[in-house]
Amino acid sequence: MSAAGSAAGLHARQPKAIHSALTVLEEVARCGAGITARQISDNLGLPRATAYRLLNVLVQDEYLVRTPDLSGFALGRKVVELANLVTPPTARPPEAVRAILDRLRGGIRGGIHLVRYEHDGLRVIDPDPDFPPSDRAVILARLDASAMGRLLVNERSRGAASAVLGQIHASGYASQVDEITAGYGCIAIPIRDRAGQLVAGLCLCAPRERIEHPDDLVAVLRRGAEELAPLLA
Amino acid sequence: MTALQRAIRHPEPVWGFADRSPVDGLDRRSLGFLDVLAQSVSAVAPSAAATTIPLLIASAGGAPVWALASGMLIALLVASTVNQFTKRIAATGSLYTFVSRGLGRTASFVTGVALLVGYGFISMFALAGAGYYLQILLGDRWPALSTPLAAGVLIVAMAVLCVLVLARGIRVSTRVTLLVESVSVLIILVLVGTLLYQNGSTVDWSVLSLAGSTPATFAVGAALALTAYVGFESASTLGVEARRPFATIPRAIFRTVIMAGLLYLVASFSQVVGFAGLGRGISSSTSPVNDLAAAYGIGGLGHLLDVSIAASFLACAIASITALVRVLFSMGREGLLPSAFGRTHARYRTPFVAVVVAVPVLTAALIVTIAISGGVWRAMEILIVGAAGGYLTAYMLACLAAPVFLQRIGELTVWPLMRAGAAAVLLSVVLVVYLVSESTTDRYPGVWVFLAVMLLGITLYLVRHLRRPWLRHMVGIYDVPVGADVLGAVDAFDTAPSRQADVPPRLGRPAAES
Repeated sequence: MSAAGSAAGLHARQPKAIHSALTVLEEVARCGAGITARQISDNLGLPRATAYRLLNVLVQDEYLVRTPDLSGFALGRKVVELANLVTPPTARPPEAVRAILDRLRGGIRGGIHLVRYEHDGLRVIDPDPDFPPSDRAVILARLDASAMGRLLVNERSRGAASAVLGQIHASGYASQVDEITAGYGCIAIPIRDRAGQLVAGLCLCAPRERIEHPDDLVAVLRRGAEELAPLLA
Repeated sequence: MTALQRAIRHPEPVWGFADRSPVDGLDRRSLGFLDVLAQSVSAVAPSAAATTIPLLIASAGGAPVWALASGMLIALLVASTVNQFTKRIAATGSLYTFVSRGLGRTASFVTGVALLVGYGFISMFALAGAGYYLQILLGDRWPALSTPLAAGVLIVAMAVLCVLVLARGIRVSTRVTLLVESVSVLIILVLVGTLLYQNGSTVDWSVLSLAGSTPATFAVGAALALTAYVGFESASTLGVEARRPFATIPRAIFRTVIMAGLLYLVASFSQVVGFAGLGRGISSSTSPVNDLAAAYGIGGLGHLLDVSIAASFLACAIASITALVRVLFSMGREGLLPSAFGRTHARYRTPFVAVVVAVPVLTAALIVTIAISGGVWRAMEILIVGAAGGYLTAYMLACLAAPVFLQRIGELTVWPLMRAGAAAVLLSVVLVVYLVSESTTDRYPGVWVFLAVMLLGITLYLVRHLRRPWLRHMVGIYDVPVGADVLGAVDAFDTAPSRQADVPPRLGRPAAES
């Protein structure tokens, strides 16, 4: 369900439930992977049925995952995205980086954003002031929809195959069309450090035709990314 | 700093999550809620059932509206019990996998055979139905097409279409089926609206009276009514392909039962009222909806309805084969069937081999059934009995397995236990009543075919099991979170990704042995 849909379903009774849900997450973090539903309900003094229902909701939303034997729980990657969503934004990137970005923005029509990947999440550190990126909440709710998210998903998947990731392997960059805003799409070029670790991404958002036929745009962005790499890694 | 903050900043290494899921190869996490819902709705084929089941119930002496209401109640109990599994296990084997986690491998295998019978027979039924209605439609225009040979050709053509859609990818097949089913339901609602509007001021509520039914006819009616709901659980075969399986699949299953139930109640009520308005009984007609449409001056809609029912049958065939091949895929991965069944298409990421084997076998079996029984409609009557028997058996075993499963993972509470118990008792009554009552009608071959196929399947299992005793370690694979989903996961299996890591690595405390 979309972020707007779940927000609309929020009732006055729910703050208590949200509090309990966060307590459950905290407890899983404290005890470590493998803690069972019964242990959580005992530790927190929650009624069994309530604890089980909360756990199932958290599993549904992938903040928790069940361990392979189904009886235990571990924190899901999604808690990181939740955390990145609420932490304060970092300082703007250094002057040298902004100079390169300004030059790229001057030469290409479309929104150019710089994204940083850290703590297993993504953060837009220099959004294009003229074409602001889509709502961060939307991007984070479905990582596999945005080009910048797909780079991260690809990085995590360590070679597991799917149609979307196949495209990244083939072309060396991620792209999406129509997934977030109809008629528009996005290209994300990975920026890696010398060890090959994904540290940042250079994204171009533009109307659909330009994303589907990027021609020499990709080459320009790649050169930009190469210049940025030593400054960001 | 709280424990959660600490965990996010410096994730504790977590071992035991493999790099790949044992059901790797399908298009993992690609389907949204609508696609999952479409799978269940199409497998139920509510528009085809809403036009045929009320007549079946009335002919058996039951009261359609009440029977469908009690069928809905039982279906809701079953759905909520099946959802105890779907909230916790993402699998492609549906009830077959679920039962293995509760009652062990023998019960799981009986469930698997029953489920394959259910999906297989309903696929043949739906293919035959699509051919039957298409032949009626085309026969009006080109009388030369009204031969049995033409029916066979139409059925083969549609089977080929099914293979193409199924192999091409799961998203294509769910989108196509959703569109088809929505159009059919819309046409039925227009028809119902017209009927009720024309009867508006003179609705005779006494048509709902239960006078004249006995407990026996009521039970038979409820059993028949339940067959109108079967298939709702088939979304659970998309456990690997759904994007948020633990959220979307339970919701899709529950809503399918609710929506189908409401449609059945409205449709059966309007049919009963419509015939009462004409001064005759519903069972006096052989094609009640068409007769009603003609009698109320909207005969054109009747023809449109034939088109939509043919399409709905085709959608049902696609959805049922989708579910069938995913159960076969599971069995192939486990080694119960030849491992080729567990192979997927490299580009479309569908269980390609299972599709290519299953569809020709089903089509051939269907054509043989038609040839032996001497007619398409007659074959359909026999097949639907077998399908219903298969579904009801699988549901019953799943309801017995649910409390055991919950107990094993330490999450059993009172209400799920009560619902599972009630569902299991009601289902066993319904199954017995259904098989006994069907064996006294002219559809009796269906009962014998069902029992024979079940027996054959279980015999084959025992033979294979005696030859390969190690298989008992391989039953009930499901999708486990891979390292990419878990905070701080360590690549435990990087060097040797065991595709059939069935006995999952233990974490925390030792789990109950299955």
